[in-house]
Amino acid sequence: MKRITLLFVVLAMLLAACGAPVTPQSQSPVVLRVGWLGFPDTLNPAYAFLSEAYTIFDLVYSTLLTEGPNGKYMGSLAEAWNVSDDGLRWTFTLRPNIRWHNGEALTIEQVVWNFNTFIQNPDGWVTNSGYVKGFKEARALDERTLQIELEYPISNMEFRVAFLYIVYPKDFESFATPEELQNFTNFNPVGTGAFKINTLDKDQRVILLDTNPDYFDGRAKIDQVIYRTFDNSDALIQALRVGDIDLAVEVPNSAFDAVKQFQGVTAISLSGRSLTELILNSVPEDHDPPPNRNPAITDPVVRLAIAKAINKQDLVDVVLQGHGIPGVSIIPPTLGGGFWFNRNIQDVTFDLDEASRLLEEAGYLLQADGVRAKDGVRLEFRLQYPSDSSNYPRAADMIATWLGKIGIRATPAAVDPDSLMAAVTPNGDYDLVIWGWGSDPDPDFMLSVMTSEQYVEGGWSDSGYSNPVYDELFVKQQKTLDENERQKIVWEMQEIVFNDRPYIVLWYDNTLQAYRSDRFVGFLTYLSGIDSFKSLMNVEPVK
Amino acid sequence: MLETWFLFQRNLSAFWRAFRRNRMGMAGAVLLLSAVLVALFAPLLSPYEPTTVIRDPSGRGLTFAPPSVHGPLGTDDAGRDVWTQLVYGARISLLVGFLAGLIAMFIGSLLGILAGYFGGWLDMLLMRVTDVLLVIPDLPLMLVLVATLRQMELKISPLVVLILVIGLLYWTSTARLVRSQVLSIKERQFVARARAIGAGHVHIIRKHIVPQILPLIVANTVLILSTAILVESGLAFLGLGDPTQPSWGTMLNFAFDRNAISNGAWWFYLPPGLAIVWVSLGCVLLGNVLEEMLNPRLTAHHLEGEASVRPAGEETLHE
Repeated sequence: MKRITLLFVVLAMLLAACGAPVTPQSQSPVVLRVGWLGFPDTLNPAYAFLSEAYTIFDLVYSTLLTEGPNGKYMGSLAEAWNVSDDGLRWTFTLRPNIRWHNGEALTIEQVVWNFNTFIQNPDGWVTNSGYVKGFKEARALDERTLQIELEYPISNMEFRVAFLYIVYPKDFESFATPEELQNFTNFNPVGTGAFKINTLDKDQRVILLDTNPDYFDGRAKIDQVIYRTFDNSDALIQALRVGDIDLAVEVPNSAFDAVKQFQGVTAISLSGRSLTELILNSVPEDHDPPPNRNPAITDPVVRLAIAKAINKQDLVDVVLQGHGIPGVSIIPPTLGGGFWFNRNIQDVTFDLDEASRLLEEAGYLLQADGVRAKDGVRLEFRLQYPSDSSNYPRAADMIATWLGKIGIRATPAAVDPDSLMAAVTPNGDYDLVIWGWGSDPDPDFMLSVMTSEQYVEGGWSDSGYSNPVYDELFVKQQKTLDENERQKIVWEMQEIVFNDRPYIVLWYDNTLQAYRSDRFVGFLTYLSGIDSFKSLMNVEPVK
Repeated sequence: MLETWFLFQRNLSAFWRAFRRNRMGMAGAVLLLSAVLVALFAPLLSPYEPTTVIRDPSGRGLTFAPPSVHGPLGTDDAGRDVWTQLVYGARISLLVGFLAGLIAMFIGSLLGILAGYFGGWLDMLLMRVTDVLLVIPDLPLMLVLVATLRQMELKISPLVVLILVIGLLYWTSTARLVRSQVLSIKERQFVARARAIGAGHVHIIRKHIVPQILPLIVANTVLILSTAILVESGLAFLGLGDPTQPSWGTMLNFAFDRNAISNGAWWFYLPPGLAIVWVSLGCVLLGNVLEEMLNPRLTAHHLEGEASVRPAGEETLHE
């Protein structure tokens, strides 16, 4: 049975591949074959959490605005926009003649429906809910003008709008409850984007997209994009080496130098927007359910000692094989071209002797077995990490070794990501966890991770950090329209987090990618990587 | 007492003379013994600690350095000396193997003797438990057990978890083997005589049954040892070992995770692989030969009856 399905798929793909070239030029279609390690679990923008889903959203859907190469926002569906003087009314003028993939014209009512649905149904549209917070209502002023009214001025309005994908209302209207909406996988989305889904096979884990010839901003220079999922990074790299794929969107750090040597392949290392951190359980004692942890992890001295015992440069050299920089703040230094990153923060220096001395002075004395203890509390911590990363085991191993030298016993363990997620939020059942974030272009999201209200089931906070001063500043930066004023607040917040250490940010890793430069040219090196939507629009075959 | 000792010594030296002539057995013993020696004297064989990072003159970790650049076997992805990892890895791999093997042997022999000697409902019960364990696929069961045990916040180290799980699951073949031997021995005349003069169960098991099946258990243990080492490597390769304590399995795990193959770093994945082959080959050779020499069923024809219970060495002595 299984073999028949496979044969059918192969046939279908062959047919699809044969079907496309019946164009006037009668030449074979230009297909960009992309290899990656994940697969989107859903294509429903209401409830998507994997980055792979957002890659496909960018290709299939459009937003009002989009981020430009310099970090400024440019029009996409909207061609002009402005804000009223009080900052409470934003007006967007749509481009003319935008069509859905099914040929229907995009109407202003459909766009209004999108925004009002996001605003009115935050329980259903979970992933959008944070981005429409403070939105009051959307309305049509005329056939091409949309007005969004806000409850208070929003500092990062352009960024927020650039995140909200405009979906085809008919696909989403029929759901009665939030659960029904979220269970909808939307594997056949209708959008206005530059590519449309031709075939999505979640058993073979292949996505085939055709170029949308009617795309409002001009047709892409390639005819098809195929995403193929690989089980492990070695297989992915070998496929690139022999030319089975044209673009590898994630090259592991430990293989990057090898990939650079491949014939006809260009490997690219870009500083990105992601960070990896060591999470220290900071859940308040009175939280429900109460945290299950070694109480010593909340002691500021122990936290400082741990920070001092981690050689971040070594982590970058070994774990990232040099493709990244040591981490300091929860805001990566690339956001807004460095505008949001607090460069005044001085990181603690790596010093094992000093770390031991701090613990000794605080009363943590060495026991016979080499582990420190104070009042019967032994410095023994679980050091967990999600099992789907090839970087974390080595990092955990190195951190545990350093901690061992200052009398802290950390026991590393790989844990299935879903189980780890459940243990971390909202159960607080952990001591130390290594995990990472991909940041938004705007600092708002990374800052929100540290707010008290996010420490709930389905929320973004994993440390459980709770600080009323910080929470207040968070709301304030959201409403501060003046960029320089907002920067001051954002910098102050980073300093608070740095000093309280709910996270020890380990590193900012580069985005490592590679493509067949003997076949394609024109990849754009944006922060989001050479596989970004803009980049794919610009790619063309080597002539 | 003195007489028993003398007899044992005579048997042992007779056995040794026979064993010495068996090339396969000797090869196995040499392979296994060399690995044990390496494990024992690991600190003498390498100037580094397993966690020492080898650095280039600028202080940067020397990662994926080939043997031509550093040491006998180069460095791994973390800039650590592969040779050091290998010799220290022998300690963990062998320790887990030996301890798990001993646990398996002990449980297997105990249950085998109880089931075989007492028979009846006890035999029935124990053998059904054995059957159940035999039909459950080992590796998935162990994966689940190790992962679950480590999730629960037990204050035991990952290595102990590994040892216990392997030891507690691999006693089934020993139990069956021992039971079948005990079944045949307990029907022999000397057991019947001992019972006739009023010897208790404990006495009969200790004085008459255990000495008869001991050689068999020894041979079987050597074979279980190789299984235990292989299983430990397998679990560690799948990421369930203790990453801070290098074993051959964790070395392979890191080599795979960190793209040693794409980097062409054969010095990272071949040595631990060959080391595992080395030790398991040693165990299998030695175990098979011991079993051949000590298992009465394999040496003598079944019609010879009582003669077959004598230790194999004695026959060689009379030649």
